[in-house]
Amino acid sequence: MTPVVQLEALEKRFSAGRMEVHALRGIDLAIAQGEFVAIMGPSGSGKTTLMEIVGCLSRPSAGTYRFAGRDVSGIDADGLSRLRGEQIGFVFQSFNLLPRLTALENVELPLVYRGISRRERRERAGETLERVGLAERASHRPAQLSGGERQRVAIARALINRPHVILADEPTGNLDTTTGGEIMTLLDELHAEGHTLVIVTHDPLIGDRAPRHLRIRDGRIESDERAA
Amino acid sequence: MILESIRQAIVTLRLQRLRTFLTMFGVVWGTASVIFLLSWGEGVRQMLESGFTKIGKDMATVWAGQIGENFTPAIDRRYLWFTREDEEAVARRARLATLVGAESELWTVVGFGQRAFTMSVRGVEAANFELRSVSVASGRPISRFDVQHRRRVAVLGVKARDRLLGAEGRVGSTVRIHGNRYEVIGLLERVGTQLWRDSAEIDEQVWIPITTLLAIGPRYGIDDEITDMILFRYPGRHAYDAAKREVRSILAKRLRVSTRDEEAIHVVSAADALKQIPIDDMQGLFLILAVTTLVIGGVGVMNMMLDSVQERRSEIGVRLAVGARRRDVVAQFFLETVAMTGIGGLAGVGLGIAGSLALGSLEVPDVVPIPVLQGWAVATAVGVMTGVGVLAGLVPAWRAARVDPSLILRVE
Repeated sequence: MTPVVQLEALEKRFSAGRMEVHALRGIDLAIAQGEFVAIMGPSGSGKTTLMEIVGCLSRPSAGTYRFAGRDVSGIDADGLSRLRGEQIGFVFQSFNLLPRLTALENVELPLVYRGISRRERRERAGETLERVGLAERASHRPAQLSGGERQRVAIARALINRPHVILADEPTGNLDTTTGGEIMTLLDELHAEGHTLVIVTHDPLIGDRAPRHLRIRDGRIESDERAA
Repeated sequence: MILESIRQAIVTLRLQRLRTFLTMFGVVWGTASVIFLLSWGEGVRQMLESGFTKIGKDMATVWAGQIGENFTPAIDRRYLWFTREDEEAVARRARLATLVGAESELWTVVGFGQRAFTMSVRGVEAANFELRSVSVASGRPISRFDVQHRRRVAVLGVKARDRLLGAEGRVGSTVRIHGNRYEVIGLLERVGTQLWRDSAEIDEQVWIPITTLLAIGPRYGIDDEITDMILFRYPGRHAYDAAKREVRSILAKRLRVSTRDEEAIHVVSAADALKQIPIDDMQGLFLILAVTTLVIGGVGVMNMMLDSVQERRSEIGVRLAVGARRRDVVAQFFLETVAMTGIGGLAGVGLGIAGSLALGSLEVPDVVPIPVLQGWAVATAVGVMTGVGVLAGLVPAWRAARVDPSLILRVE
């Protein structure tokens, strides 16, 4: 079966001021459908850069990236936008909900750019919010929600297009231990339902909940372990 | 998408009320100024035109002067005068003079009861009422027969009547002019303040038949029926110069002077005076001032939206991450700016219209200009406002399009 994410000899360089940063130095990685992978490493290790490339938010400097079998280097910017919108769901450390929209409208947002009718958007967003247990909070704005609730809204937003892969960047980083645990439980459930999950974290307690651990250091994969 | 942008603009507006108000104030004020100043300029134009043409609509006055020094040796710079025969010749032969009348003025003592004043007494013909665009408010005007029979009848202007007759005076009263008794047969309607006049204003004049006036005393020691001025109506402003040439050539021939001698035969009208007033330049200046205000307002909005793009970079990143294309982001910020300018502009249109109508409905003296609301002023304001909004929207939209989606993983 074709892996969802397949990286071969991937390199990423960028210039930060006068310095040239060599963030990724030859990454080979395949993630199959239905996997739950935790990418761990200290800050500066390149894990965020890796996430950025896997999420098609930037392009590799060298090497190839196939997403669901398709080489992304041949896709233009609008095509990448579409790919992100339809096949990738993002969950961020700082939630990144739009403060002016209600929970429901935030969840709807990916559908807006697919040109789906208002009624269908409402319906699907409502169902998805229900899935993450926030149906009764639909009309609240992010400022009226707790951190855990905001992250649930963000997860609902990531889920709404039934993406091939959900990318979570430190999803519990801004939450207390209890709430973080609840979010991880939700992610476990999604994995159990068959979703492909990739989470980036520097917290081993969080990373250990994923069946597959990837450790990154200095832009290289240091270890790739699967729990039994 | 467009509705969404307007909604978004309103939300932005609500969240930052003071800042938005201050920013949009420029657009509101600029738009209102365009409408108000252009309407006010039109009010000035109408005030001037009505003030200048109260002397008589499309009426020119011909004076006889002195032979110009370029046309004769200095010794022979004789004075000229018109007779009523000259006037009749103009009436008969000038095709562009649609109505012709003679008029002479005598400043003399006019009395009623115990009161007496020196006033401008005008000897007129029946045609002069129409020439000077004035009719009688009560009684009757001076007729052809009054002129033929040298009747001692008088028609008084509003102010002349108030001064002379006071409250008890009316049609049928008897006044003394130059020692003789005249019956008041009519009262002129109010003309109002004239910005262009020949000696006294019409409201202050006493009109009697020209033949009666000429009989009062010897004029220049000449027996002819001398007239101080010949009045004629030309068919609209475009025909004024041609009418002027025609009348001048007829009179020059009769008086045996050069047709080019403007000192000998002097033709003037309010049109000449109005031409000297740069109304269009003034309107242009108003327009430039108002548009400048509006453009500065637009720069304010642009600046605010640039800030907004900077503050909402993570929002842009999120939108790009969940499937927005660059053009969606560009459209969003462009439309938001246009919507914001549009909201301010519409408020300004309302303010401009309301202000123009409010001031335009004031009761003011004749010579105070008030705005006269113009449809084209509103159209100009809306047009310029739209242009400013579009220009102000381009820069923030372009800036928004350059946001890198990967920043979303980097900002905390």
